[in-house]
Amino acid sequence: MSQVQKKKHSPRIFVAIFLYALAAVLILVSIFGFYLRGAGTTTKNLNSMRTQAVLHSASGGLVDSIANQARADKLKELRSRSDFRTLGLDQVNATCDAAASAARAEAEAIYSNATVNDSTGLENSINAFEKALSVYGGLREKERAIYSDLYVTLVENVPDWTDLVDAAEGDDDKLFSSLSSWASSLALSEHAHLKSGFVKLAHAMAEKEQTADDAELLGQLTSSLTRTISDWTTLSGMDDDSLWTALCSEIEGFSENERFRSNLLQTAKKYISAAEKGEVISEEVKDSGAATVYDTVTDYSFFTASDEMSAASEGVESAYQELWSELTEIIPDLANLDKKMQKNIRTTLENTVWPGDTDFSTRFTAYAAQKGDGILSGTDAFMMRLSSLARNILIAGIALLLLATLLMFWKTLTDRFGIPRTIITLFFIYLCLAAILYDISVPMMLSNVMIRMGMYGILVLAMMPGIQCGIGLNMGMTIGCIAGLLGVVLSLQFDLVGWHGLIFACVSGALISLPLGWAYSKLLNRMKGNEMTISTYVGFSFVALMCIGWMMLPFNNPKIIWLLSGHGLRVTHSLLGSYAHLLDEFLSFEILGVEVPTGLLLFLLFCCLLMWLFSRSRTGIAMTAVGSNPRFAEASGISVNKMRTIGTVLSTMIAAVGIVIYSQAFGYAQLYTAPRQLGFIAASAILIGGATVRKAKVSHVIFGVFLFEGVLVLGQQIANAAVAGGGLSEVMRIMISNGIILYALTQTGGASRE
Amino acid sequence: MSAEYILEMNSITKEYGSNAVLKDVTLRIRPGEIHALLGENGAGKSTLMNVLFGMPVIHSTGGFKGQVFLNGEPVRILSPMDAMEKGIGMVHQEFMLIPGFSITDNIKLNREITKPWPISKILGKDLEFLDRRSMSKDARHALDSVGMGIDEYALVSGLPVGHMQFIEIAREIDKTGVKLLVFDEPTAVLTESEASQLLNVMKEIASKGIAIIFITHRLDEVMNAADNITILRDGRLVKTLAKSETTAEQLAALMIGRGDDSVIQVEKRKDAPSENIAMTIRNLWVNMPGEVCRGINLDVYEGEILGIGGLAGQGKIGIPNGVMGLYEAIGDVELFGKPLPLNNTASALKSGLAFVSEDRRGVGLLLDQSIEDNIVFSAMQVHGSYLKGPLHQKDSKKIRKTAEELIQQLDIRCTSPAQATGTLSGGNQQKVCVARALMLNPKFLFVSEPTRGIDIGAKQLVLETLVRLGREQHMTIVMVSSELQELRSICDRIAIIAEGKVASILRPEDSDAAFGLAMSGAQLKGGEAE
Repeated sequence: MSQVQKKKHSPRIFVAIFLYALAAVLILVSIFGFYLRGAGTTTKNLNSMRTQAVLHSASGGLVDSIANQARADKLKELRSRSDFRTLGLDQVNATCDAAASAARAEAEAIYSNATVNDSTGLENSINAFEKALSVYGGLREKERAIYSDLYVTLVENVPDWTDLVDAAEGDDDKLFSSLSSWASSLALSEHAHLKSGFVKLAHAMAEKEQTADDAELLGQLTSSLTRTISDWTTLSGMDDDSLWTALCSEIEGFSENERFRSNLLQTAKKYISAAEKGEVISEEVKDSGAATVYDTVTDYSFFTASDEMSAASEGVESAYQELWSELTEIIPDLANLDKKMQKNIRTTLENTVWPGDTDFSTRFTAYAAQKGDGILSGTDAFMMRLSSLARNILIAGIALLLLATLLMFWKTLTDRFGIPRTIITLFFIYLCLAAILYDISVPMMLSNVMIRMGMYGILVLAMMPGIQCGIGLNMGMTIGCIAGLLGVVLSLQFDLVGWHGLIFACVSGALISLPLGWAYSKLLNRMKGNEMTISTYVGFSFVALMCIGWMMLPFNNPKIIWLLSGHGLRVTHSLLGSYAHLLDEFLSFEILGVEVPTGLLLFLLFCCLLMWLFSRSRTGIAMTAVGSNPRFAEASGISVNKMRTIGTVLSTMIAAVGIVIYSQAFGYAQLYTAPRQLGFIAASAILIGGATVRKAKVSHVIFGVFLFEGVLVLGQQIANAAVAGGGLSEVMRIMISNGIILYALTQTGGASRE
Repeated sequence: MSAEYILEMNSITKEYGSNAVLKDVTLRIRPGEIHALLGENGAGKSTLMNVLFGMPVIHSTGGFKGQVFLNGEPVRILSPMDAMEKGIGMVHQEFMLIPGFSITDNIKLNREITKPWPISKILGKDLEFLDRRSMSKDARHALDSVGMGIDEYALVSGLPVGHMQFIEIAREIDKTGVKLLVFDEPTAVLTESEASQLLNVMKEIASKGIAIIFITHRLDEVMNAADNITILRDGRLVKTLAKSETTAEQLAALMIGRGDDSVIQVEKRKDAPSENIAMTIRNLWVNMPGEVCRGINLDVYEGEILGIGGLAGQGKIGIPNGVMGLYEAIGDVELFGKPLPLNNTASALKSGLAFVSEDRRGVGLLLDQSIEDNIVFSAMQVHGSYLKGPLHQKDSKKIRKTAEELIQQLDIRCTSPAQATGTLSGGNQQKVCVARALMLNPKFLFVSEPTRGIDIGAKQLVLETLVRLGREQHMTIVMVSSELQELRSICDRIAIIAEGKVASILRPEDSDAAFGLAMSGAQLKGGEAE
């Protein structure tokens, strides 16, 4: 047998050694990457790479702009031809495409001629970029400051400003626009006596809005004038009225917009006279016809830009000028482009370097990761990639190292700690190392872990008597949780605050849970062997039943019921006014930036001590025996059912106290479906601590809640740091907790093995 | 070609690890004979049959030594299926019937007669129709030949147990080419009339030239039906006899056989046992699955060691379990003159009884807890000892001291009193169980199968401990054991249980034949023993 086992071990050690080697290689590579990133000699090189990347991106936009411009020009040209209408759509498209691709090819040729040969020039251009960006940032800040000045004025002058603030939902821009619309409505409804600058602004804005709308409409009508009528000569010699009638009959939308009559008639006459002279109406003429109406003037005279604002925008301008000159040095052909083109390039550059709120280096890294291979030569691209991936490679190396250690000492570790505990502990260590690399604040993390330990600790402790008495993982502890929540809402109903409220909630919750737990244990005693299934179902269905219960119970304190219907408890109850964080802050102190919730931890330890004393008493020992071997206990004259009842009731009562403590640490009591998942969290925590579905100790509770919450707190932060967007930590919690429960069940063959 | 023997198993040796369960056993069966295979539990009958049927358990543990000939030709039987194809059938002790199927379906299971139809010709034989008419005909024929008048289309589920046995036989007979049938304790669940009908059927089958291996404990049936008899004991062939040249007494003696390797030699007690009755058991019925007691009457004298023996499944283990209240029991039990309430373990323990269970790992120990906790557990729960303080906390120091004393006294081999009992060897676990019972300071001790699964040295220690307790501390001990040797070596009297009743109460020095007969239940017909 021993020989067979030896043979079984060898491949694992083999794999472990291989993983060690791999981990060592990765760690060395990552160190090299960090060196590349930090070493002075490579900075210049890197910077040149960056500029190249930016230019590449800019040139992409440039080429696109040129192609688009060429297409638009071609289209204009086609339109101006008299046979435009006879051309099919396909033909027009094909012609335009051909023009665009020709222009594109030309532009690409220009770009490929550009050579990066002057490293100083490159650095300058980079600096110019970054300077421009920072100036832009300053400008934004200024705008915001002006906005907030406006708010202050408003708050002083306007009676109902809170409603407006609420409607804006914290969005400055929204608030601003709702303020202006409010102000304009105020002004328009003859409250002209309120002559603050703001009303003027509102008037001006409303006016501008109206004018802009009109201008847009007029522009549309004007362009439909040119589009619809191809032969203007037929309209010559008409007087104003008949011309207007003719236009109205010919063109949609004219009859409804009598107010633009004179403007439109003027344009039409211009076209007619041009047609009579036999001229082709040029695009410029058409454009100017439409454009004149766009240029409406708004009177902002009362609103002057501050000095800083002007300076900031000048700064931006000059930064771009600098950048532009650098660029034209690198790519001389750029200077030959017309003004419109240059403007396009400028926009493209802006968008490339700062499309959102991200800073330049983040943007660059993302860009380089995406395009790095394409724009840089082989070695350069590889080096750049390496330097940007160094951190990830290091983390992967550490993970492999831990994995290899796990495999190498698998037997020793699992014999000593059990498989789940080994894996979770190593995962925890890995998370700690990753936390350092991701620069997550360790004191804050520790405080979080401690608070969550205290929060969940007693709920996890509630699992212990359940396991000891043989009903396994007591998923039905939600019954106790609901009893505890009843205690909490009772204390709120009677307006009990402070220690009185907390103690009242604990005691009344425990008392309510007593008969519930007893009835629940009777059910479990009839279903021996299926406790896990039964308790899960009972837990869920009791939550569902109480969803009705919370609505029906005759609570009447207006602080806790739905105000509209006048009965039924609300979903979330804030304990901030009564006893939130009471235990957390009891004797709490701060050391090295770590806030220690002394009261919470002391209470958890006190409960654990009581549980420990109980498990060493005659009844506790008998209960443990019933859990680990009911037939043995029976042979010693112990009533198995009685012990199971004691264990179940105890578990339910501890859960009731646990949820009160949980709620006070959380600051809110959540009713309805909120307690549904608590059983799973508690079960997986105690299993991680080393308990099985047959055996549990106080040490399992403490160690388990520490590991479980530690992994969650750390995991959450690291997941947020590594992957943008939330939700990952919740997924991880579900995976860990359910995975652990599943593992525990496979290890014991389920609770049904008697 | 017709050989003299239809089956020859020559010099079969089978070892599980280093433990030989069959040593050089030879079995020869002639065509058309009923050959009885006799032996106690664990004599090697089942292993021999496993070899014959090529059961996977044999192949997976390293095969066996020796040769098997069928019809004079050497064969290698690879699997039960292979055995079936070679014409060897088995009538199982546990019925392998499908309750929701009719008798015909059960008899023809997996050998259905089918007829083709167009689609089956295209898509294969699996889609052919069942030819119910000819199946029923075959089933009818098979049922008739075992003397069953029952309708072949009845469902199996509602039938009495006895009928199932016959259906099982009918199924084997229906197989074409069956040359050899094995009956594994076929009469165990049958009533007397059913049993005699079965024997007649067996004879009829044998008269058609099919050989039968008949495994049983009942000597009277052997004497009634068998032609030849092979007796196994401790994995060895004792003897092969023709029925005509032997008697039931001789068979019983051969079966029990008193070896020289008796477990221990204890000097017989010199003083006469007490006349005072410690426990009277009257009409005790115990509902313990597999070990049902059906009206036990027994007196136990103060200070004696009473052995309870018998074959497995006869009900001997039910007695202590019933008295201790671990299984449902009815009847009257008096302990030292006071009536003992049944089905109440706590009061049984309080009135001075203690019990070392036969199920050491299942009932006897908390495997994941320490030796010391195991030892004091019952005493703490029953008498409330080893507790201290107002909170009834366990007194670890006192427990450690007591445990160390007992470990020394009983020679429990362990690293420390805190070692988990699950990691101890079987013998040491047994000593922990005994220690736990002794902690109760019992006046009356039940010990059930104390030597099961432990090595010879430990066996000796356990038995010596029991004798010492009896002789020196005048404890009344009732020891239940399947090992007749050890009962005969330490007990003052031995009650043999058969079919849930006391078959006979014997002295250790009574003859092997007397024990053999009592165990096979032969004397039952003469009424209660004594």
